[in-house]
Amino acid sequence: MKTISRLFVLLLLTGIVLAQEPGRGLTPMEGRPEAPDFTLLDLDGETHHLADYRGKVVIVNFWATWCPPCRAEMPSMQRAWEKLRNQGVVMLGIDVGEDEETVFQFLADYPVEFPLLLDRDSRVVDAWGVRGLPTTFVVDPEGRLVYRAVGGREWDSPDLLEAIRDLYR
Amino acid sequence: MSGPFRTWLMPVLLAPVLVQAATETGNDPETGLRFWQWSEGGVSVRLVQRLPDQIRGFFLARGFHATEADHIARACVFQTIFRDDDNHPVDFDLHDWRVLHQGAPSGLRVREDWDRRWPADMVPRAARIALRWSLLPTRQHFEPGDYNWGMSVYGLAPGSHFDLHLMMHIGGQQVEALLPDIECPRDGDQP
Repeated sequence: MKTISRLFVLLLLTGIVLAQEPGRGLTPMEGRPEAPDFTLLDLDGETHHLADYRGKVVIVNFWATWCPPCRAEMPSMQRAWEKLRNQGVVMLGIDVGEDEETVFQFLADYPVEFPLLLDRDSRVVDAWGVRGLPTTFVVDPEGRLVYRAVGGREWDSPDLLEAIRDLYR
Repeated sequence: MSGPFRTWLMPVLLAPVLVQAATETGNDPETGLRFWQWSEGGVSVRLVQRLPDQIRGFFLARGFHATEADHIARACVFQTIFRDDDNHPVDFDLHDWRVLHQGAPSGLRVREDWDRRWPADMVPRAARIALRWSLLPTRQHFEPGDYNWGMSVYGLAPGSHFDLHLMMHIGGQQVEALLPDIECPRDGDQP
């Protein structure tokens, strides 16, 4: 009976871990296709053209405030940005379908300092071929898609930081 | 099939499934609501009940009118966590999944079904976008380490029981499985 109880607890814990663990790794994008350009406003009304960041590594994260794994990965994105911002890496969070007020309210609980852009009509997320949130891409200095991650990640983990820094080498 | 033949052959035929696949059910530690989970290797699908009141509130807050929010809420909604912690890519298409209820198979209500139900002039744009992206993708390709959370909708009345026939490709190999006796979340006025 003890063995059965232990097995049950193990299965339960496995379930919890499976549900809450972040994903792992970055998937290399075959052929490194050109990243679709976009022009979007951030929360301060500033315009961001992806093409303006040519020459820099850009992390593009599609998310929404109501999406649990999007919220879960935000703190690690902020930490990663703090480590990478002085090395020329740009991080852009693109909120899908929501307004400024909703995202501002979100920031009270999840303070992030990198630019959050608004894709109000979901045109950009569709153009990027995203199917589920969050999905994150890494764009190299030549404007090509090099990595994709579907689902949340621990963005400040050493292996992910290393993969991103390597794009400058 | 004769008795002795069945005795030794059936376990042999079933062995790969019994060894590799597992189903479990229990109560979600965060919400206390029931969950059903299937896993094989590192690939798992977990359905967690979402109460109709929760769903109503979610969609009302995103611009749906009460009637439409109630329609979704009473259509048997589960939070679905689909993970690929395996070493192979996974592909799925929800059109391949079957809901088995009272002996009759039917399909899930996927993003495209809702788009057709509520054209652009019936539901505000922000609400349509929220519904679309809050649902599990109809089709997805996972590389190892990827996952999605999203609602899956089964189109059955609150409290209904059903079996879910899953299908996916793991490393190019078609895998099918049955997640038995899933219960649609009950509404607040139900015992």
